[in-house]
This record gives sequence, structure tokens and C-alpha cells, in this order.
Amino acid sequence: MNTCDWPLLGPLQWTSYVNKQVRVKAGKDEEHRGWLLTVDPVSASLVLVDFGLPGKASVQVVMGHAVEEVQVLQEADQETTERLQTSFLPPTPRRLDP
Amino acid sequence: SIPTSAEAEADPEQLQKEQHARSMLRETFLRCLLSMANRKVQFNMYEKVKVEATFGASDIDVLNFQVSDLHTPIGVQKEALIRSQDVISFTYDV
Amino acid sequence: SWRGSAAPPLERPGERRGAEMKKLYGEDSAKIMAMEAAMQLAFDRNCDRKQPKYWPVIPLKL
Repeated sequence: MNTCDWPLLGPLQWTSYVNKQVRVKAGKDEEHRGWLLTVDPVSASLVLVDFGLPGKASVQVVMGHAVEEVQVLQEADQETTERLQTSFLPPTPRRLDP
Repeated sequence: SIPTSAEAEADPEQLQKEQHARSMLRETFLRCLLSMANRKVQFNMYEKVKVEATFGASDIDVLNFQVSDLHTPIGVQKEALIRSQDVISFTYDV
Repeated sequence: SWRGSAAPPLERPGERRGAEMKKLYGEDSAKIMAMEAAMQLAFDRNCDRKQPKYWPVIPLKL
């Protein structure tokens, strides 16, 4: 899809890209590939994770304002989803009481 | 500021779904930014500028990144602020 | 109150922000606000202590 409008999509549409392998074109000539961890709803920036050797990964943050196009390549299987959600972020902070 | 969608304005159930999605996305992003402190990060900026620095912190509006030991083309700047508007992407290894 | 009774009601930006956050994030707004407060505090503290200067001095993207 042509996503010059990426920053305007909104949380529900951004969520539909989470845990998918995507190709992101950004700026004039950058292209990134990785599993989409999250999209910042404030800046529309994407966080992509690219797994390398076991226990290693590279994280790419693409600024929302620079996004030209986002394309889904494939869905994550169970293992990749778990790896994505657990492998490098610190544990969820304790829930704060309101 | 971030607008809520038109559908969400009209439909409380839709609003709640959208709020939940936004919370999940934002929380993961904030945890991600927090986990970047003290990591070596490469910034890919406009005008083909690429620089390395040690990440410090971001403001909550994601307008500025505070970094240390910024390797610029003309030397090392010990402490720096990078405007997010100048940045296309940044990467780091974990 | 230290303000005379004739004074207009105080603006409360904190409260207004709280209401906006509640609209955006619903029941999780308190948690998101707490995380944001911690992050902004770290940013402000680092800037106070290290006095970073903008690089580049002139924005690349005007």
C-alpha cells in the first residue's frame, strides 16, 4: 500500500501491522526489513526487529515523518511472535494503581 | 496532538478498542526507548548524514534525542541533542 | 485560598492534560502518564546535567 498517509492511519490500523514482517521505505532511498514490534501513536514511528544469530537482534526505529511506504511481507509464526515480544524488552513494569 | 477517529467519537465500544490499541502501542514504544539508554546507536539522517552516538533519552513527544559521544564527520561532540525531524531512522544491536 | 474570591478560576493544565490522556488511552492512561513522566524526567535531568547542544547547529530538514 502507498502509505504517505502512514502517520494518519491510527491505532487500529497500525496494530494490524504488528508482528508482521514488513518492508519500509523511508526518506529518499532507505529500505528496511524487519518484524514490526510497535508503532508509536504519537510520532507514528515504527520499531522493527531483525533477528540474526540466536540471542542477537538488530532494532531499527523508522521515524513516522520519513515513512514513504509500508508493505507486509509475511505473518509471524508463534515462535517469532514470542521471540519478538519477549526477547529484548525488559519485563513489563508493575501495574500502577490508579 | 493525536486525534481520535471519527468512528470512535460516535461509538463508545470503538473508542475503547482504539484506546486499548493506542495504549499497547505506546507502552511498547516507551519501553523500547527506555531500554535504549546507554546503547550505541547509529542515526541515518537527511542529506546522507550517518552518525554514531550513545543514546541517552528522548523527550515524550519524540522531538529530540539526547545523546553522548556523538561521532560527527568533523570530530566527537561529547554531549548533543539530535532533532528527530533530521532523522530518517536509527538502529542498534541487542 | 490566597486568591481573592473575585479572581477568575485557576487554569489547571495538569488536569486538562489528564483529561486529554484519558480520552486517548482510556483506562490505561494513568500507567502511560507515569511512564511518560519517568521518561521526561530522565531527559530533563540529562539535559540539565550535560547541557547538550543541538547537532547539527542548523536543522538538516528545514
